Amino acid sequence: MLRIRDASVTFPASDGQDVHALDHVSLDIAPDSIVVAVGASGCGKSTLLNAIAGFLPLTKGTITLDGKEIVAPGGDRGVVFQKDTLLPWANVLDNVALGLKYGGVPRSERHERSRRLLELVGLADFAEKPPYELSGGMRQRVGIARALATDPKILLMDEPFGALDSLTRETMQQLLASVWAKTGKQILFITHSIEEALTLGTTIVVMSPRPGRIVAWFDADFVREFAESGDIGPIQSHPRFIEMRQEIRSLIHQPEGARTGTLQ
Amino acid sequence: MTLAANSGTSFSSSTAKRALSPKRRRPASTSTLGISLVTLAALLALWFLAAHFEWASPLFLPSPAEVLTQFSAVWADGYANGTLLEHTLASLGRIAAALGVGIFLGIPLGLLMGLNRWVKGIFSVPIDLYWGLPPLAYLPLLIIWLGIGETSKIVLLSLSTFAPICFAAQAGVRSVPVERINAALSLGASRLQLFTSIILPSALPEIMTGLKIAIGAGLSTLVAAELIAAQSGLGYMIMSAANFLATDVVFVGLIVIAILAFAFTSGMRWLEHRLIPWKGKI
Repeated sequence: MLRIRDASVTFPASDGQDVHALDHVSLDIAPDSIVVAVGASGCGKSTLLNAIAGFLPLTKGTITLDGKEIVAPGGDRGVVFQKDTLLPWANVLDNVALGLKYGGVPRSERHERSRRLLELVGLADFAEKPPYELSGGMRQRVGIARALATDPKILLMDEPFGALDSLTRETMQQLLASVWAKTGKQILFITHSIEEALTLGTTIVVMSPRPGRIVAWFDADFVREFAESGDIGPIQSHPRFIEMRQEIRSLIHQPEGARTGTLQ
Repeated sequence: MTLAANSGTSFSSSTAKRALSPKRRRPASTSTLGISLVTLAALLALWFLAAHFEWASPLFLPSPAEVLTQFSAVWADGYANGTLLEHTLASLGRIAAALGVGIFLGIPLGLLMGLNRWVKGIFSVPIDLYWGLPPLAYLPLLIIWLGIGETSKIVLLSLSTFAPICFAAQAGVRSVPVERINAALSLGASRLQLFTSIILPSALPEIMTGLKIAIGAGLSTLVAAELIAAQSGLGYMIMSAANFLATDVVFVGLIVIAILAFAFTSGMRWLEHRLIPWKGKI
C-alpha cells in the first residue's frame, strides 16, 4: 500500500512568488490497482510521481510504501519514463537486466529472468539488439520490462506513451493492461489524455494546476474488460465511458471548486 | 505523339520494380573518397607543373621527383644527426608520452571536477589560466626551470594535451541526462555502480572528442617546440634544413607530419566507431 499524506512541494521562483507544484495531496494506492493521474500540464502530476520515486523531496507531508517512508530512489519503485532512458551501449537484454545486476543477481539468472520479461512484452527476438535499432514503442516496452525486472512493489509511469503515435499508443495500452492483469502490480500512471486515463485506470485522479491538487477522483473498471478483450473500440463507445470523459473534461477545463466524482 | 514517346521509353511495372529495387535497398553513396582522391591528384599535378615550368625558383619549390629522391636519401643516410625514422620516432615518442600524461591525469581529474564542486572550484582556476596562454610563450620558462632536454618538451606537450582532455571529461559528466541517472537510481544503483555503469560510459563520447582536440593541440605544440629547442624530431629536421635552404628536406618533413596527422585522425575515427558506435543515435 502506497500512502500519500498531505504532500506538498514548493519551488522557489525567480520572481519571489513560490510555485506550489503540489498542494496538500493525500492519496492511497492499493495493491492490484491502477491509479491514473490526469490533468493539464503544470497540475503537479509529474511532481507527484517524482516525489514518490524519491527524485524530489517533499516540502511538507509524507509518502510511505508499506509503512516505510520514502526518502530516496530505490528498487522497490520501478519507474518508466516518457523519455527513453535505455543505455545505448548495452543490448536489450542487458538493459532489462540492469536492476538485477545492481542487486547482485548472478549473470545467468538475471539473463533468464530478463528473457522471460522480454517474452511478456513481446520482444523475445530482440534480446541481442542495441536499443537504438528499435522503434519508439519497442523501446518503451523494454523500459517496462526493465522496471518490472527487479519485481518492484509499485510501477510508476510518467506519461510513458506520450511520445508515441496513436496506433502504437493503443498497442502499448493493450500491453500494459495485459501485463497488469498477469502480474497484478500496483501502478501509478500519469497522463494528459482523458481517454487513456479511463481506459487504463481503476482509479482516476483529476488534478488541477496552480496550486497542484486533486480536484476529483473516479472509480472505473474498463481496464479489466480491456485486458480481456484487447479491443479498445467497444470500451470507448460505452455510454458510461463517454459520460465520464465529459465530466473529467469539464473538471480539467474549469478547475474551480474541488469536488468528488459522483459517477459509479 | 506524347503517347508514342511514352510507350517507347516506359517499361513494364515489373521491370521498373526490379530496376528500382537495388537502389531502394542501398541509398545513393555518400562517400566522398573518390572526389577527395581526384582533388589530391589535381594538387599533385599542379605541384608537378609548377615545378616543371619553374613558376617559382627551384630553390623555393622543389619538384616532386627531387622531394622523392631526398626522401629516400634522408630515410637511408639521415639529415641533421638522424635518419628520417629516428626523427619521426623521436617526435612520436614525445607526443605519446604527452598523450599518456594527458589521459592518465586529465580523465580522472576531469571526471572528479564534473562530480564534485570542491574539486572543480580548486582546479578550474589554474587550468583556465595556463590554458589561455600560448604554449610557446611559457616554453622559455620551462627551459629555464627544467633544462633544454626531453623533460621540458614533454611537460610542455603534456600541458597542452591535459587541458582539453580534462575539460572534455568534465563536460562529459555534466552532459549525462538526468533521466538516465534517475532511472539507474530507481533500479537500485549504488553510488559506485552509478559512476561505473552510467556516468563513465555516458561521458565517453565527450572524452573522445577531447582526445581528438588534444592530439591536434599536441601535434602543433610538438613541432613548434622542436623548431625552437631540440636535437632531434621532425620539427628540428625541418628547421635545420631551412637554415641551409634545403627546401626539398623541408618538404619531406612536412609530408611526414601530414601523414602522421592523417593517421591520428583516421585512428581516432576507427576508435570512436569501435568504442562508441551509439554516438548520435540516441
